[in-house]
Amino acid sequence: MTPGASNARPAPAAIEVHDARVRLGDTDVLRGVNLRVPMGQMVALIGPNGSGKTTLLRCLLGLQRLDAGNVRILGEPVGPKVLRRVGYVPQRLPLDPSFALCVREFLALRRPDTRLWFFRRTRATDDILLRHAPGLGMEPLLSRPLSGLSGGQLQRVLIAYSLLGDPELLLLDEPTAGVDTPGEQDFYQLIGDVHARLGITIVLVSHDLGMVFRRASWVYALNGVICCEGRPEEVINANSLKAAYGIHVTPYHHHHHSHAPVPPEGVPITLHRR
Amino acid sequence: MPDFLMEPFMQRALLMALALGPACGLLGVFVTARRMSFFSDTIAHSALTGVAAGFLAGFEDPTLPVLSFCIMVAVTMLWLRERTRLLNDTIMAVLLSVSVAMGVILLSLQRNRWAELDKYLLGDVLSVGWSDVAWAAAAAVAVTVAVLASLNPLALLAAHEDLAHVSGARVRLLNYGFVILLTLAVSLSIRALGILLVTSMVVLPPATARMLVHTLRAHVLLTVAFGLTGAVGGVLLSYPLNLPTGPTVTMTFGALFAASLLVARLRSPARP
Repeated sequence: MTPGASNARPAPAAIEVHDARVRLGDTDVLRGVNLRVPMGQMVALIGPNGSGKTTLLRCLLGLQRLDAGNVRILGEPVGPKVLRRVGYVPQRLPLDPSFALCVREFLALRRPDTRLWFFRRTRATDDILLRHAPGLGMEPLLSRPLSGLSGGQLQRVLIAYSLLGDPELLLLDEPTAGVDTPGEQDFYQLIGDVHARLGITIVLVSHDLGMVFRRASWVYALNGVICCEGRPEEVINANSLKAAYGIHVTPYHHHHHSHAPVPPEGVPITLHRR
Repeated sequence: MPDFLMEPFMQRALLMALALGPACGLLGVFVTARRMSFFSDTIAHSALTGVAAGFLAGFEDPTLPVLSFCIMVAVTMLWLRERTRLLNDTIMAVLLSVSVAMGVILLSLQRNRWAELDKYLLGDVLSVGWSDVAWAAAAAVAVTVAVLASLNPLALLAAHEDLAHVSGARVRLLNYGFVILLTLAVSLSIRALGILLVTSMVVLPPATARMLVHTLRAHVLLTVAFGLTGAVGGVLLSYPLNLPTGPTVTMTFGALFAASLLVARLRSPARP
């Protein structure tokens, strides 16, 4: 399906969520979420703690059942078949230090052509691993134990792992939790490079507003429902954040003194308030 | 060949050690990685109720009732973990204490069986029969085949359960399968090692090996080697030293652990 073809059907969205409702215990965590993420975008899903970010992510990954509504990813209902085309980068690995698993062994688990019986190490395996996760600095880490890595190194290993599955959609959960500030900047640079190089859809789930302002092309603010969505400079203004977070927030703009346009009043903000 | 090796009870004990030492170690790699040491302890303690209930129901050999009851407790544990918000530790402490209490009460109802309590708590290598050896051999084969065949998904599961699910692993099947194999190995090892010490055969070999290696491949191989050495070595030592077999096996594991700690410290003083 080429972009120029006039009567081609529109490409399916990377993510389509229709009226998703989830109740956990006594709480309605998702109260009718509607969301459409087009293919090839790098978007952010933001929201305060308890806003349902993690629950929505779990629905997308087939880890949480919906009470009502439906979710499609890459044009298909969530299931093992479509999940093969999805990369997931968790916040961290809750690894016990008593578990001996080195980076090479962990990465090799992602691909059938590197998954060797009893982790036999070969030159060919290393080549495949490095070829499919380039630019992530994996080579010096391959023989290191996973439990001895720094937060930033582990984060890169997790991205490499997800890229080894040749994903069309990459979901990152609070990707910079546990990474220091310079590490955080490197991290977003890296994700930006991955997006530019591979053109895949990337969804960053985060409560970190500064990152969203700089990196994402589109932002969804969640608080049980999608309170508002738009370009970062549109969503991140006091009013829409108030809608999302229920409190008054003054966003901190990093380019305060530059000539970057501060969002003018009256920018179109899509509001789905219920 | 020393005379004591000609004794049939000694041969049975050695075969048990040969089968269950490596199998328990193999499972132990993932038990320790997934912080499930207390889990195997709970299963072991629940065997007491299985023994007592078995006698009460008229079984002369309580292996089957023990296995069934332990698997029931293990599955209950998994089910409670999935369905409630209780912490793992809480669930296990509840099941452990209740099944020990129930076991002791059921035994106390059968005065003629009261002596069995010691046998099962501390192990009694003299009571190991050929049918126990056959069970142990079958369990060892099942554990080895299953673990080696699912080494990759098990490793992923130990690293991150949700990531394993997204990567296509059948998480629920693996969880239940692993726990049932662990229950099989632990409940069969009780005859020789006793309820109180059986967890040592699951936990000590992987802990000993972990101090010396950094890859899963090496960890698995070395753990199996330690499991074999400790179990067989302990049984062999117990006879000439005239010591109870179960505790001697555990002490052998303990000695290997201390030695490996020393080696690890000498190799790199900063670590463990």
